Amino acid sequence: MCDGVSLLRSEIPQRLIRQFKLESRVVVRGEQAPEEIRFLRREGRPWLPAWHAGQLGIHAWGCRSRQEQGFPPGAWCHREHLEAGYWRHLQPEPVEIPANYVLDRGIWYVVRDGLRGVLLRRPRDVPRVYVLTEAASHYYHVMTRHDRMPVLLHERI
Amino acid sequence: MNIILGRMLIGFLDADCFYVSCERARLPHLMGQPVGVLSNQGACVIAKSYELKARGISTGMPIWKARPLCPEAVFVKRDFAWYEILSRRMADEVRQVSPAVEYYSIDELFFDASWLSRTFEAPLSEAAMRLRERIHSRVGVPVSVGVSRSRTLAKLAAKSVKPFGCRVLLDPEETKSFLHDCPVEEIAGIGWRSADKLHARQIRTVGNFAATDRHVICKLLTKKGEALWWELHGEPVLPLDTIRPPHKMVGRGGSLSGPTRDIERLRAWLVRNVERLVEALDRHGVVCETFSLSLRLESGHYIGDGTTLPEATAQFPRLLAAARDIFNRVYRSGDTVTHMHLNTERLSFRHAVQQSLLDRPSAQDIETARLKRLINKRVGRFAVRSGATLPLHDIYADPTNGHDICDIYGKLCF
Ligand SMILES: [Mg+2]
Repeated sequence: MCDGVSLLRSEIPQRLIRQFKLESRVVVRGEQAPEEIRFLRREGRPWLPAWHAGQLGIHAWGCRSRQEQGFPPGAWCHREHLEAGYWRHLQPEPVEIPANYVLDRGIWYVVRDGLRGVLLRRPRDVPRVYVLTEAASHYYHVMTRHDRMPVLLHERI
Repeated sequence: MNIILGRMLIGFLDADCFYVSCERARLPHLMGQPVGVLSNQGACVIAKSYELKARGISTGMPIWKARPLCPEAVFVKRDFAWYEILSRRMADEVRQVSPAVEYYSIDELFFDASWLSRTFEAPLSEAAMRLRERIHSRVGVPVSVGVSRSRTLAKLAAKSVKPFGCRVLLDPEETKSFLHDCPVEEIAGIGWRSADKLHARQIRTVGNFAATDRHVICKLLTKKGEALWWELHGEPVLPLDTIRPPHKMVGRGGSLSGPTRDIERLRAWLVRNVERLVEALDRHGVVCETFSLSLRLESGHYIGDGTTLPEATAQFPRLLAAARDIFNRVYRSGDTVTHMHLNTERLSFRHAVQQSLLDRPSAQDIETARLKRLINKRVGRFAVRSGATLPLHDIYADPTNGHDICDIYGKLCF
């Protein structure tokens, strides 16, 4: 599925880095490697970057606890469920989650542009972004041992 | 054509961690990252960056073993179609500065370097560096270059300066001291068996090898070893082949995308692999005289056999009949198969075979094969294929299975 995404620092506007204090999330994988900013599911209040309505923003990622009732629990949303209309009452809107690397079960893999996501809303609550998933390809399944994979933007692996 | 060698200079160009470099050419953010290229099945690391290598990850290592060694590693699926494009671009760049280029493998080229200095209007070592820079800037792939009097020396020179180095070896004294410490196994053409024989005679370095009496080398390693001896003395005896002579063998096959004992699936794989094999023989313009089939069972055992064909052929019906015949003989129902490999040997160029000795297809077979090639070229590989491959619907539905390692290069790169 997806435990986190990493995006080159150079691809995030300075305005967002300041506003969301993303500086603390900067990491590098090697001496000569470029700086990345990571968004991980395991954080207390996980976030995801997402393009929505022509704007890149930082959004709350999924729903952690049962207290936040009304939103589907978890961080992912089955594409099939969305298409079947399960979340129609949450006014789903498509978003694009920009990413250079995606984390799943401890494996970081390269993606071209990012992932497909969905933004769900409830009255008097902050909107939530979910990563859309689909049945894993054979390759993905062997790589991560998962039978679901994120819906990738503009590519298939 | 074989280039007649006078005092020609031979260059060798070898791309540095080629697959990873190809990925970096289109995704520059991979620069400096510990990158692993995964096999088509996602199970093994088939190529790695120097950063990943430094963490102890080797080629062929399963991903579950590699991950704990380098949790920060980033993995990417191999894309042979892309690597092949860059490989050809590399060759095109070299052709612009050389009258003769030999495609040695997907990431290695031999070339006539006699004009390099004049082309770049610079001393040879600087010209070699300029070529390296040009390929890096135009193709996006870092390479190492060696230039010397023979193929063997040029290759040794390039290997010694990896990554992204250049070495010109012309001065006899410099060559001698360079060869002095180089392990004898580094010579292209010295396998472990030859190395064992040499070690037994205390010949451990290339320097030792070159200093040994030529006749002794010939006795130990036959004419092939003697050719290497001359090459190491700067006497080129292995010519550049700008059109590769027939390969020793052309094969096709691989994993079956999961173990199977379903007889329909196995028969379908057989057909698919024969189709791929015929395609490869066509591309090389060769016919074969022998055919063999090998199956790897889940138990780790191999079963298979070979056969000599009634006449040299590259025809689908003939090869399929041979494949089925062997399959029926060696396969016992219930055996679970994980890999299948088809191989052909005793190859010759079609145009070089006496027409009367060739297996002549019927007019109908010729027309069928022509139409198949035409449609597949236009619509896509395997658009028209044998109906017997229907049980492999899942394999054909996955577009990533549409590429082979293009083996016009004569050897696999992993
Ligand atoms: Mg190489």
